[in-house]
Amino acid sequence: MNGLRPAQEEIVAYPGGKMGVSAVPGSGKTFTLSYLAARLIEQADLFDDQEILVVTLVNSAVDNFSTRISAFLKEKKLIPNLGYRIRTLHGLAHDIVRERPDLVGLSDRFSIVDERDSQEKMDAAVTSWLRIHPEFITDWTAPEVDLESDRFIQKQWFDLANSLARSFIRQCKDLQLTPADLQQKLKQLQSPHPLLQFGADVYADYQRSLNYSSAIDFSDLIRLALQALQADPEYLRRLHYRWPYILEDEAQDSSSLQEQILRLLVGSDGNWVRVGDPNQAIYETFTTASPRFLRDFLREPGVTARSLPNSGRSTCSIINLANTLIQWTNAAHPVDELRDALTRPLIQPTPPGDPQPNPPDDPEGIFLSGQAYEAEKEIDTVARSIKRWLPDHADWTVAVLTSRNERGAKIVEALKKHEVPYVELLQSSQSTRQTADVLAACLRCLADPGSSAKLQDVLKKLGRIAAGDNKEASAQFRAAAALLERCPRLEDYLAPLPGADWLAGLPAGQVAPRVLQILEDFRVQIARWHKATLLPVDQLLLTLSQELFVNPADLALAHKLALVMERAAISHPEWQLVEFAEELSSVARNERRLPGFSEEDTGFDPERYKGQVVVATLHKAKGLEWDRVYLLSANNYDFPSAQPYDNYIAEKWFVRGRLNLEAEALERLKALARDDLQGVHMEDGPATQAARMEYSAERLRVLYVGITRARRELVVTWNTGRRGESQQALPIIALQSGWKGNP
Amino acid sequence: MEVIPLSPLQRSVANREPIGRLFVEGPAGSGKTTAAIAWLDQLLRSGIPADQVLILTPQRTLAQPYYQAVHQPDLPAGSLPTIQTLNGLAQRMVLLFWPIVAREAGFARPAQAPVFLTAETAQFYMAQVVQPLKEEGYFRDITIDDNRLYSQILDNLNKAAFVGFDHTELAERLKASWVGKPAQLQIYDQAQDCANRFRAFCLENNLLDFSLQMELFSRHLWPSFLVQTYLKRTYQHLIYDNIEEDVPAVHDILREWLPSFQSALLIADSDGGYRAFLGADVESAASLAQTCEQHIQFTGSYVENEKLSMLSAYLTDALLRRAYQPSPAVEQAHQIHFERFYPTMVDWIGASIETLVRADGLQAGHIAVLAPFVSDSLRFSLMSNLENRGIPVRSHRPSRSLRDEPAARCLLTLAKLAHPQWELPLNRQEIRQMLMLAIGNLDLVRADLSAQTLFSPRKPKDGLASFDLLVPAMQERITHRVGEKLEILRAWLRDYQAEPQPLDGFLARIFGELLTQPGFGFAKDLEAAAVTARLVESVQKFRRVTSNEDAGKLYLEMIAGGVIAAQSPQAWEEIGRTDAVLISPAHTFLMVNRPVQVQFWLDAGSLNWWQRLMQPLTHPHVLSRRWPEGRKWTDADEYAANQESLARLVRGLLRRCSGRVVVCSVTLNERGDEEHGPLLQAFQSLRRRLNLTEEAA
Repeated sequence: MNGLRPAQEEIVAYPGGKMGVSAVPGSGKTFTLSYLAARLIEQADLFDDQEILVVTLVNSAVDNFSTRISAFLKEKKLIPNLGYRIRTLHGLAHDIVRERPDLVGLSDRFSIVDERDSQEKMDAAVTSWLRIHPEFITDWTAPEVDLESDRFIQKQWFDLANSLARSFIRQCKDLQLTPADLQQKLKQLQSPHPLLQFGADVYADYQRSLNYSSAIDFSDLIRLALQALQADPEYLRRLHYRWPYILEDEAQDSSSLQEQILRLLVGSDGNWVRVGDPNQAIYETFTTASPRFLRDFLREPGVTARSLPNSGRSTCSIINLANTLIQWTNAAHPVDELRDALTRPLIQPTPPGDPQPNPPDDPEGIFLSGQAYEAEKEIDTVARSIKRWLPDHADWTVAVLTSRNERGAKIVEALKKHEVPYVELLQSSQSTRQTADVLAACLRCLADPGSSAKLQDVLKKLGRIAAGDNKEASAQFRAAAALLERCPRLEDYLAPLPGADWLAGLPAGQVAPRVLQILEDFRVQIARWHKATLLPVDQLLLTLSQELFVNPADLALAHKLALVMERAAISHPEWQLVEFAEELSSVARNERRLPGFSEEDTGFDPERYKGQVVVATLHKAKGLEWDRVYLLSANNYDFPSAQPYDNYIAEKWFVRGRLNLEAEALERLKALARDDLQGVHMEDGPATQAARMEYSAERLRVLYVGITRARRELVVTWNTGRRGESQQALPIIALQSGWKGNP
Repeated sequence: MEVIPLSPLQRSVANREPIGRLFVEGPAGSGKTTAAIAWLDQLLRSGIPADQVLILTPQRTLAQPYYQAVHQPDLPAGSLPTIQTLNGLAQRMVLLFWPIVAREAGFARPAQAPVFLTAETAQFYMAQVVQPLKEEGYFRDITIDDNRLYSQILDNLNKAAFVGFDHTELAERLKASWVGKPAQLQIYDQAQDCANRFRAFCLENNLLDFSLQMELFSRHLWPSFLVQTYLKRTYQHLIYDNIEEDVPAVHDILREWLPSFQSALLIADSDGGYRAFLGADVESAASLAQTCEQHIQFTGSYVENEKLSMLSAYLTDALLRRAYQPSPAVEQAHQIHFERFYPTMVDWIGASIETLVRADGLQAGHIAVLAPFVSDSLRFSLMSNLENRGIPVRSHRPSRSLRDEPAARCLLTLAKLAHPQWELPLNRQEIRQMLMLAIGNLDLVRADLSAQTLFSPRKPKDGLASFDLLVPAMQERITHRVGEKLEILRAWLRDYQAEPQPLDGFLARIFGELLTQPGFGFAKDLEAAAVTARLVESVQKFRRVTSNEDAGKLYLEMIAGGVIAAQSPQAWEEIGRTDAVLISPAHTFLMVNRPVQVQFWLDAGSLNWWQRLMQPLTHPHVLSRRWPEGRKWTDADEYAANQESLARLVRGLLRRCSGRVVVCSVTLNERGDEEHGPLLQAFQSLRRRLNLTEEAA
């Protein structure tokens, strides 16, 4: 038996051509897709310079998949890792551009700015624009707000303008509009809308500043990949030959550019398998991503439509709850336009004898709290609940899911206060911070080689990497670090003169041989690193990380960190190791995010954190599952339903008419791009209204994602918000009643 | 050097009468140059005055065997043959005939002497021309750093001169071949404008970059009756080796010149053309054959073995997608090794080399580790691994900037210490690094203690304080051995300041008088010596072309600002000297032309084995002589050129290998990415076919 169920078998038997698969949560779509890829490599009879291309949103599936295929290739005495390529869209775009940078005006070693660099450039562009155009803020501020007296509002305005500029520029790049194109189009208008003028000016300024430092940003990368494919049909033809099969995972989050790039690569007669779950499309707001692409594809003539309806992930009760949400939305959502926010198929439990059976059912495992908590109280209640529950469930996995990072941070605080062990999966990933943190510790130690404390810190961190979960080994590393404290002069340990070797002089018999060995090895390693301090900082980091890490994600991160440091070294030639260490620490402290080819965490495995609570945002939780899930803030602010009494995060109270400025600006931009002058000159307001619908629909799907993360137990709570005005989310109220009335 | 008797073919070259023109062609390793040297030996022993003999090569490194040959102690005493590149010859002619041609060539001050620019001094002047234009908005639509921008515009000028078209046609040619977005066209115009302005600037100031040297020679000097008469009278006998690596403009001149030599020997490597990206043209080289009465084809190889020839042929077939059926015998000529990570690969290579040297008795100098690109990190890991095993190792990376060499940085820090009046920024870390290198075997901890206690970043002008003033406990920690050296260094700097010199003089002195003395860091360090020599040369050339009084200070500032990278090329002679494992980029290894027994190919999956350097402002193929006017350069051309160049590279490497090649592939490269480049794919194709053969058997 190969461990596949019939619906999965059907997909693995894919004969070629175009196929679309709509899958439900927990149906094993990534697993099935890996299986299909392996089968194609074995049977599709490709040439040695051809590859199966797998495009995915996250890298988490990559490892399993690679291991399986390389084992197979090695068995055949072939070189492993050839014949397939797994990439996120950014990774794919990078591959495309890197091979022919000249086609898009880049030199061979172009660099990509990280998020903070990009943010700094954006800040500068926005600040200088607002200084020249102070009327922009006064014109858009609600009449009752007193700008002069409230510095807090000025700060909020600045943040809003900044985020407006970001979305605007990203949208321009998605629409393939350069600053010059945009200015050209604006010239045709009599008096351009101030939001368009703002966006266009800041865009031009931002792009100029990127160019000045000969770099591009992440949106550019994708835009340029498409441009390269369009520039030279021969190049497209070559890539079309190279990738005769394209398998796309998480296709519901495909953006318009991704859609265009893949369509070009596949061509009219190519082989393309798109797998996704339209109900899990949660990256749509202010992007061009849309589940529409997948839905339309499934209906295209010539496309075989398949589904993966069975899921062995959750108990039948949790499956029923998720299905009820779909049914209620379709049939009973009070707003007609939102009734197709979630679509069928419903989730079916696995049939008897299935290799991936559902957990035994427990209707008591679902708790939808009706109680109205204050915001702080909700967190505290959940933290206490976990503290009580955890000791009896040491082999369970558990997560607290929330909508926003700030809320996640508060949960972390509460867990700390109650001394509950936790793991964060928030804005920047755990591994980014750890990687940066370890490297920062190494640099600090190399900057100050005489400091025993810094050396101990490195040894402790190395110990954590080397020992992993092995408690005995960690204890040995700790003992070794503690011994170092007793070394008064580090040169006697690291570079001893004859007869003055501190390590050799340690009283034999008092120190465990393993601990001595650790110190001996550590000395050799540090001596090598000392020599490496003569290298440029990026090369020093590469050298260190090659010795420190074996995990591909860590290596990739370390390389990105090295690039960030190389750039820093160019802009700050006076920097010494201390400053570089500080820069790395700021990454570790999450003050700056890295240019990752995948914004998602790579390879987070909840199973590794039994006995601890994982705190994650709902977006980060996608693709993951836990035995018990707490879903917080299920109110009408986080999950609005386009009701008159709902409040929206994007509609700022200090903005005139409570307009959603981002929505207003982007609608006009899109109209301008298609030369729709009527759209450009439309009145303020309708775009804000339309955005409410879109946002409410997406939040429904986020709720669905949250519910379907739970395997055995689900706890949903809600709070009344910062001002105490929020109400319980409408869908949850419906589920409470629907659940009771329809068991 | 082992003496192998000449083959009949080689003897037929060596023993011929010194009359008429002979064209010799054959693959690398077939004994062509050996035959040419035997012929040179014959010439000189026959009583022909050595100064009538001209030996031309396209690049100085390729002349290495001839330098060695003419310095044989048993040759008849007297003058030496001229060994030159055509560019070198051009410089000499410019100096000789400057007053005659300067005015007609358009130089504004013919009465003043010309100044020859090196690659980096040309870059310095290019920066003066381009910077103001960049501020006006030039090059806004491309993403490129300044250094590359300058070098690509210079490269365009060179290509025009080497290929033989007018530099004002550059933009038109590039634009006509462009298939991408029209926005790029404007960039070509801007590059053209910069090239024109730079040329005007050079003419105005008597500056001659490579392109102008070549143009001056081919358009004004060579056509002049005076010059031709002089050259033709001077040289009666010519040996011109590696003609396939030279540029068409040189071939043109030689075509006219050849009939006037009494004897000429032209040698072409049939697989060559590695310098195509610098303008080398195999076809125009081949056309020179028509001017020769006699042709000899060399075959076979003194280096490569039969199995490697087979391997080379199969890989070429695989790359060019031709059908082939490999013989299992090639298994003995190569090995493929995979590791998931870099460090384990480096360790495995270290261990393998140790076995080769210790157990198999191979000389370290007969092993080369080659990669398409050798990063600092890779070089460091490999070198320290081999050094720890007690295996001598050297590395060669000609395009590496000197300021990244630790030894050069050490010297520059010392220069700042010695010239406090320049007020250049100096920090503790620089001092610490300088001490680690300047003082032999000084560890980082003690170097740091010294820098902490003896140097104050707030008073950099005070320089290093005296070790003797430290408290005894600290002196003991730093050790008196180090203290003694610190005091010598201080004393030397103090003496120097009493009598300061230009920067190059300072470098030469401190190197000779201090750093190479026993107990100091550069003693017995050949690599540091080589770096110092290059740095001195770079400073000298810079000083010669800038009239600035504080040229030394300006030089340091330019280096710090990245305007010049101190890329004075490393001479190949330095490599040949020691018996050590060579770590080098694959392309440059070909130009060393020193065969080895075992080659390790690193990063076999890397695209860099295959891909040319992508330069948005220039184009080696479009600006070559054979590119049809107005034709578009598409990806099909790009692909074909890359496949062809990889096949040529592989053939060239295997020609220079006498034992076997070890192909190393790492799943995750330094960036943590997987790479699947064509070289690895070619090996996969070979493996697959070998498996089939095995199964059939």
